[in-house]
Amino acid sequence: MRTILIASYIMLVALIISGVSAIFSYLNTGADRSSMLHTEIKKVEQYLPKMDWAPLQNEGRPMDDENLKSIENDYLDAWYVRHVAYKSNKIAGIKDYYTESARENLFNIIERNKAENITIESTTLEHHPTLEFFSEDGQLAVITDKNVKEYKRIFKDEKLVLETTETATYKIILLLEDGFWRIRHMVKEHAETISASNQTASVDGLHIKGINYYPQASPWDMFGEKFNKDTISKDFKIIKDAGLNSVRIFVQYDDFGKAAVKPEKLKKLKQTLDAAEENKLKVVLTLFDFYGDYSVLNWTLNQRHAETIVNAVKNHGALLAYDIKNEPNLDFDSRGKKNVIAWLDNMIDLVKSVDSIHPVTVGWSNTQSATLLKDKVDFVSFHYYDDLNALDGAIKTLKTEIPDKPIVLQEFGLSSYRGLWKPFGSTEEDQANYHKKAQEIIANNNLQFMSWTLYDFAEVPKEVVGRLPWRKRVQGYFGFIDQNGETKPAFRYIAKK
Amino acid sequence: MSFKHFYIFVFCTLFVSPFGMAQQNNVGDIIMPMTGQSNYEAGDQIILKFSAPNSSTPSLYCSNSYGSTLIQPKLDNRVLEYELPDSFTKKIGVINWTLLQNENPISGTISVQPKAEVATMETYLGPTSIEAGAVDYSMLVVIPTDSLDNPVPSNTLVDVKHQFLNSEDSESVFTKNLIAHKNIHSKKESGRMLVSSESLGTSSKEFTVNVSAAIPTGFTISSSRPHQYADGNQITTFSTSTIKDKHNNVVSDGTFVTFFITNSKGNILKTSGTTIDGVASAKIIHPDYADDWSIKAFVDGISESNEISISYKQVIEDFTVSFSERNRNISVGPLQSFMQQLIPDGLQVKLSIYKNNTLIDTLIKTSFNGFVNFNLKPEVYKNGIYTFTIETAGLTKEFKSKKLW
Repeated sequence: MRTILIASYIMLVALIISGVSAIFSYLNTGADRSSMLHTEIKKVEQYLPKMDWAPLQNEGRPMDDENLKSIENDYLDAWYVRHVAYKSNKIAGIKDYYTESARENLFNIIERNKAENITIESTTLEHHPTLEFFSEDGQLAVITDKNVKEYKRIFKDEKLVLETTETATYKIILLLEDGFWRIRHMVKEHAETISASNQTASVDGLHIKGINYYPQASPWDMFGEKFNKDTISKDFKIIKDAGLNSVRIFVQYDDFGKAAVKPEKLKKLKQTLDAAEENKLKVVLTLFDFYGDYSVLNWTLNQRHAETIVNAVKNHGALLAYDIKNEPNLDFDSRGKKNVIAWLDNMIDLVKSVDSIHPVTVGWSNTQSATLLKDKVDFVSFHYYDDLNALDGAIKTLKTEIPDKPIVLQEFGLSSYRGLWKPFGSTEEDQANYHKKAQEIIANNNLQFMSWTLYDFAEVPKEVVGRLPWRKRVQGYFGFIDQNGETKPAFRYIAKK
Repeated sequence: MSFKHFYIFVFCTLFVSPFGMAQQNNVGDIIMPMTGQSNYEAGDQIILKFSAPNSSTPSLYCSNSYGSTLIQPKLDNRVLEYELPDSFTKKIGVINWTLLQNENPISGTISVQPKAEVATMETYLGPTSIEAGAVDYSMLVVIPTDSLDNPVPSNTLVDVKHQFLNSEDSESVFTKNLIAHKNIHSKKESGRMLVSSESLGTSSKEFTVNVSAAIPTGFTISSSRPHQYADGNQITTFSTSTIKDKHNNVVSDGTFVTFFITNSKGNILKTSGTTIDGVASAKIIHPDYADDWSIKAFVDGISESNEISISYKQVIEDFTVSFSERNRNISVGPLQSFMQQLIPDGLQVKLSIYKNNTLIDTLIKTSFNGFVNFNLKPEVYKNGIYTFTIETAGLTKEFKSKKLW
């Protein structure tokens, strides 16, 4: 009894001492002296619209790269804080990027919007600045920013009342104050609302008979540590020999480094395309896998990501088409349908602006969503995991709604899992029959297809179907080839002979 | 609102109203714009009017240089009136608007022009210190703005005036890209230049540019000293001629001049000074032995002087050394200067002690009242045979095989 008392007393004292010392050490930490200057601020990429500077022919002092870069940074930050301010109706950050007189103009409008409960979500997607003037002492610059493409969504009482894309030309005077290039005057000289563009790419060469592909050892992590071109090449040969002509692969947004795409990932992606080309396969490249934010202020980062990847692959012989996003309609509930559609709409425009040759699609998860953006995509893709008996009808309905564009059944398949978590699941024979029947429907409707998937997987990451074992296990058995590398009965129907 | 604008406004409204009504009859349910005016002056009241077929009151979206908002109308006798807030009417630039009716949203643009006046001349001048010689220049940048802080239209006349010595100039420039700018070149002379500007009767403040002399050109140096003896006590002063730039402007005060002195052994001594009214001077103490110096001065990396030579005469011809107290006390002196006066305190005397032809110690002392005494302690210098050399004022004496006991 006594030992317990003494031990608990010692514990209590130790606890109090450690608590007090934690408070002391907390109170002793303070701002780093170096943070008094702006020099130590780390540059975080948070706003990267397309910047297209006109060749330098400015009046006044000749411009150098260093100063131009710093003007560009602060000018874009000025736009960024403005977007944030109009979104939140708070003025934080404005004073860093607008001079004392200029910030009043923003404050007045923000105050009004706050009173009227108006919020605006906006971003600029393109800037085409020309440096007009740079003063001899390097303290004042004038730029004309031509055709600034600005996307806006205006809410009144939290209800969306207008979605608009405008282009405008601005003349801007910037002053160097306290190490910041601040906007002194901003004059909109020209403005127009732009309507949706419908640039189309040719789909004549599109005869997709393909399969969704992940390597057996690294599903949903194709370009990670386990990446091996030989493995992929071997798999592609199996796919080609089975009578298929294309594969669908996935580029994951975070894995590829978000806005600053990692070169080593791009290299692996190109090696994959090389392997496809060597095996005479075409590739449907699905972008933005595992991405689900869509918030307007991040669009510029997403667009730089897509731009880099499209630029890297657009001249590759194996590339067949871009799939902007896998099953975005599943994000409608959590992220808002309008957000998702607007994001897709602008992303399609961006991809087409970088590569006008290769067709673009969106991999909808069902036939109901497949008509969305049908005028924007070059071909329509949908996924089907429901009862095969209803597939024929669904395709016929879809064809009446979209008579003029190719339709691709981009994912379909059946899991042959029957076990602890699903005792009455389908057998491998059921799976074979499913694919046999599916191929018949596809042939009857003259559809293009990509089945799910080549391999059974031992491990399915939780990001794909969640943590629940009865989902994960089932997801692992959609393959035509089992975990031991043996072909399953369904392999006979991998392509219509 | 001035009378003129009020008149224009009323006129437009009257003119356009029946037109708008006629339109409305033809198209049924669609709201039609009634205001034809699309150009306004900053600060004018802007009311967009639409004829309304029913009692719906859609919002009007509008966006200017600094932001966007929504405006609620006033419905008055089947006319929808949207009054733009001050934050929009007071700033120049294009305002684009869209009427948010469900089908066929109508949209348009309004242009707000600056007021026809200049209220402030926001002026930036830099650099504010330039070089004489008609090559270097300072730049004046003016942003003339109206009373609502809007930059004035392009091609507004701005007079740039500047005064320098006897000249007063005025030049005309025109605004472009919201600003007007002018390079102001220096003249050949140095001095202060006053700069100002004026537009539409409004003047800026006075600004000053310091025109300082350009880089110095070559100059000459001279020396002065109380006597020519190397007594290690008096001071020689070196001075430059008035240092000027190539346009004969005296260099700025504080220009740093370094004098390099090379003595007869090839050693370099250095002394320096800064200019006042173009003249720099620097001092150095006399050597304590006969020497020949050659001196040259530099403004580092920019300009140099001629080379001058001076020589110093020996003051001590000879000196006496006496040993006492078992040769452990060595007394040097009296040390006498050129008039046989005792040399001023502080002359350096160096005693080198050798044993078996090896230097074992060097002692340095300075003279006091004409004498220097060295005391060799038995604890340090054991009994034995030593050789001593004594150097002072460039003279050396040697005493061989002295016994200490």
